[in-house]
Amino acid sequence: MTAIHADIDALTELRAALTRFRYAQREVTERGGDAIEATRASLEAKASRWRARLEQSRAELAACRDRAAAAEQDVPVDCSGYARAVSEAGERLEHIRLWQRRIDEQAIEFHGATSRFKDQLETDLPRAEEQLAGIIASLQAARRVQPSGS
Amino acid sequence: MSARPDHDGDQQLRLLDDAWEKAVPDWQDDVARQFGTHRWTPLRDESRLYLESLRAMMDLLDAAERDTEY
Repeated sequence: MTAIHADIDALTELRAALTRFRYAQREVTERGGDAIEATRASLEAKASRWRARLEQSRAELAACRDRAAAAEQDVPVDCSGYARAVSEAGERLEHIRLWQRRIDEQAIEFHGATSRFKDQLETDLPRAEEQLAGIIASLQAARRVQPSGS
Repeated sequence: MSARPDHDGDQQLRLLDDAWEKAVPDWQDDVARQFGTHRWTPLRDESRLYLESLRAMMDLLDAAERDTEY
């Protein structure tokens, strides 16, 4: 009698834990997807800022070179600061694009793992819970027909 | 709830593992073995695979944000 009680309590708790797991992990998968989209948006915003900075720096460099071309030969115009700014903006923009490509590549692989896990949460896990409910019901029925004192 | 979903996912798997470990000692018949083989083991293995993949993805996202803070 005691052994069956212990089984039923533990199995009932296991079934409840499976249900909690299903809901909690569903939320985890959603948050994982949200995190990817948030980082993608953040990187795109950074790329946009550096694209604008690059355009501005190029325009400033071009203006400086125009001034240099128009200047008297004995009045040198130094455009090296503008050139450095163009170079820096270009490098940072390329660096951000590199991260965007890496995330896109890993997101494809991650999407496969997420799909398989979601299938498990939506299909296999409810079946396991249902099977466990059946097992618990059988144990409860067996306990009811046990002779008293056994 | 922590900031990273993979940490919460790991915690949920630990809680489920605990419930399984409490149920198993008093449940040692053929039904238990079948449930273990066909339900529990695939669930635990697939969950671990997903959570490892999620951890790697979150690490990459964190690194991307850090490395592009100019």
